[in-house]
Amino acid sequence: MKIIKSAFPLVIALFLTYAMNQSWGTIPPIGKIFSPFHGFWMNAESPESGEPTEETLQIAGLHQPVQVVYDEMGVPHVFAQDDHDLYLAQGYLTAKDRLWQMEFQTHFAGGRISEIVGEKGMASDQFQRRMGSVYGAEKSFEGMQQDPAAKMALEAYSAGVNAYIGSLSDRQLPLEYKLLNYRPEPWTPIKSALFLKNMSFVLASGTDDLKMTNILRKYGREVAEDLFPNYPFQESPIIPVGSPVDFKPVPIPAAPADFTGLGSSMTTPEKDPNIGSNNWAVSGNKTVSGLPILANDPHLTLSLPSIWYQMQLVAPGVNVYGSTMPGTPNVIIGFNKNVAWGVTNVGSDVLDWYQVKFKDASKQEYWHDGKWKKTTMRIEKFQIKGKKDMVDTIFFTHHGPVVYLSHEKPFRSNIPVGHALRWIAHEKSQELTTFYQLNRAKNYEDYKKALTFYSAPAQNFVFASNEGDIALWVNGKFPLKSKLQGKYLLDGTDAAADWQGFIPQAHNPHVKNPVRGFVSSANQFSTDPSYPYYLGWQYAPSERGRRINERLAVMEKITMDSLRGLQNDNFNIRARELLPLLFAQVKSPNAAQSKALAALKSWNLVNSPESVGATIFENWVLTLQSCLWDDEFSEDEKVPMSRPAMDRTIQLIKSEPAARWWDDTKTPVKESMSDIVMKSLQANLDSLVKHHGPQGPEWAWYKIKQTGVRHLIPGMDALSRLNIPIGGGGTIVNATTTRTGPSWRLVVELSKEGKPRAYGVYPGGQSGNPGSSHYDDLIDTWAKGELKPLLYLESPDQKSNRLRKKITLSK
Amino acid sequence: MNKLIYGLILVVIGALVGIYLPWYAMGVAFGLIAFALNMPLKSSFLIGFMAGYLLWIFSALWLDMQHPSTLPGRMAQVFPLKGNVFALFMLTGVLGGLFSGIWTWAGARLRQNK
Repeated sequence: MKIIKSAFPLVIALFLTYAMNQSWGTIPPIGKIFSPFHGFWMNAESPESGEPTEETLQIAGLHQPVQVVYDEMGVPHVFAQDDHDLYLAQGYLTAKDRLWQMEFQTHFAGGRISEIVGEKGMASDQFQRRMGSVYGAEKSFEGMQQDPAAKMALEAYSAGVNAYIGSLSDRQLPLEYKLLNYRPEPWTPIKSALFLKNMSFVLASGTDDLKMTNILRKYGREVAEDLFPNYPFQESPIIPVGSPVDFKPVPIPAAPADFTGLGSSMTTPEKDPNIGSNNWAVSGNKTVSGLPILANDPHLTLSLPSIWYQMQLVAPGVNVYGSTMPGTPNVIIGFNKNVAWGVTNVGSDVLDWYQVKFKDASKQEYWHDGKWKKTTMRIEKFQIKGKKDMVDTIFFTHHGPVVYLSHEKPFRSNIPVGHALRWIAHEKSQELTTFYQLNRAKNYEDYKKALTFYSAPAQNFVFASNEGDIALWVNGKFPLKSKLQGKYLLDGTDAAADWQGFIPQAHNPHVKNPVRGFVSSANQFSTDPSYPYYLGWQYAPSERGRRINERLAVMEKITMDSLRGLQNDNFNIRARELLPLLFAQVKSPNAAQSKALAALKSWNLVNSPESVGATIFENWVLTLQSCLWDDEFSEDEKVPMSRPAMDRTIQLIKSEPAARWWDDTKTPVKESMSDIVMKSLQANLDSLVKHHGPQGPEWAWYKIKQTGVRHLIPGMDALSRLNIPIGGGGTIVNATTTRTGPSWRLVVELSKEGKPRAYGVYPGGQSGNPGSSHYDDLIDTWAKGELKPLLYLESPDQKSNRLRKKITLSK
Repeated sequence: MNKLIYGLILVVIGALVGIYLPWYAMGVAFGLIAFALNMPLKSSFLIGFMAGYLLWIFSALWLDMQHPSTLPGRMAQVFPLKGNVFALFMLTGVLGGLFSGIWTWAGARLRQNK
């Protein structure tokens, strides 16, 4: 009895220890994380100051020592003596700054978030795997192994990441591991493949096929084709109209029979219309220096740690600077002595759905081409934190995975149930070879050859060389389709509806040294309708592309700074076109409406941060679209439909004032165009007043838009930067929205002597550690529209007052 | 022995254990010391608490002085302290104190098995 009594405090102590060593829901292990010898206090890093420091680190597996110098932004400049050591160092140094992010992003891509956060991650995980992300990564990994150089880079990179993981004790773990209470696992080369495949998920998984089929079923083909045209009313395509075609097209497959299908109340992730990018290159005859200048700003979700990590990679045969993606070897967007390149996304249709007819509930066979064919099965295992493991079976037809069976509830409302997915991301591919070769490219021919290895996600690869060439290839693997094939859901039993091979890579749209003296892309249509192949019916709105092209056409004596200015251009060409049309429809405005209209009339059409006119206009576009179309296209949430694009609305205002669509079918009276314009103006003001008070400085555009760069853990505001004062907008060249924007801005001027000059910035910082001064130190520069000079070194011993730290990696 | 000397022994051992062993080893070590030295039961919790409190709060202050950063401010938002860094230091000390105090008390109690 006595023993029990005297042991009682010990029981309390043990219980307390257990409780303080555990996560409770989202609460981290309170003892472990507050211990100054183990927890977050250990993660503080002081800013470097004063004399550059030097240190040596031992890394197993290196052939020769590697010299690394860090500049004041925290960019490592890596000097290795062979490719193997270069990529090993890239893996090691990237992990040193970004390990948690690399692992978290690949866990997400591979459908393994529930291993970290438990059951609440399960629906997302299952969706990722059903979409075939792991299957696609395995296929693409197969492709990567076929090129010895890419294989070596991938394996050395992986060894480098593992060398860093192996050097970490618990107390040195990145902060997020401590917050979420887990440890990193070994890195494997297939994780790099998962990361690259996830870029297809981000950029090439948009699908409106179900919504379009629902429209087809309700309104018929004529209306569907009229309101959802296959080429916009206004456009300035990437490949200039009239560019010569230097290939003989292969025959186009015959169109499959018309198919209306079952549609469904369920549907794939909707493409975020704000994810897009700008790039351009101007030829030497338009620049002050007489040599080409290239600019690129890929627009992605703005996150911390940033998706990009700057590096300079130097070894015999390569000296490249640019932004890398943590998780994969090579520089993705950058420049070397001779060339520069950049990318923007291509909105081609590379994802289609086939309605599946199974023989019976066992789903062992499906009907195709007049025969019952066997399905294959893939078993996916899920380890869920705090729960038992789960097993999921995915059925595959020859098209691809049946993402959701007819009775299942999809993760997103626009994914059709009972349909097999045919998607370019499932093809074997060799993207790494493209980047490996681009990093070493010397001229246009090298660039052209590098692109032949690239599949997905398709990109507009802009290019400039110090030989004076500028070029742009709309590049990727594109299915060879009949016109409009895959605009709607397809018949999985009809062999004629299958993808019939691919467009030969040499036939991809391209242009070199056009007469106009520049090439550009901003996610708009790749070509005008004269291009012999069908790539897709729907691309990003044309405004950014049209604005860039109208500016570049008139700009002369171009400098890097004038292109920086164009990257930050906030001019609203949609407002320039639309506002006069809307003003003409205004009748008997009330006091509040008059005040708003006055603000619009005096607005300079620039989406600057403080602009109130921009706020009223942008919100008016939203309410106009809603007042005009929601009665017909958003009636029933179980039957999701697309809404006609703004381009089509402008066309309707201009030339179809009596169209049936103007009437609001929800009211007994018949509305005119003018009625809808006034109604939308009032709805616009009502919503602004409700959320932001009466018209005044509180309506400043940046206060309404609320651009934020958010930490990858949802809701982790303490590690995010919110409410950044910046202008722009989704259809503005400075495409900064609430959560997306220019994720990396680069401007490069080439030089005959092999001494390129470059400027760049991204909204984040080199370090992934929230306790480092380099965590978010570039955000203010980015928000101001400024760029940082990029340091391009010839040797590790080169003098520069910008160097802060030197590390020797030795075996 | 004087309370102050007990406390001093705990702080020194606690720091060494903290640097080389997992975080909870400090508690176990305090329990063992209290047992071995037959610490007075009545004041054992207070001695342990003060040792843990001072060790954690001063270690945190020292780290913050060595590596000044925005991290404490951010962590004072991750843990709902409205960004108050002073409160974050206090919380660190109190958690270290509670944990140490209970283990010290447990060690002393076990020795005085009556």
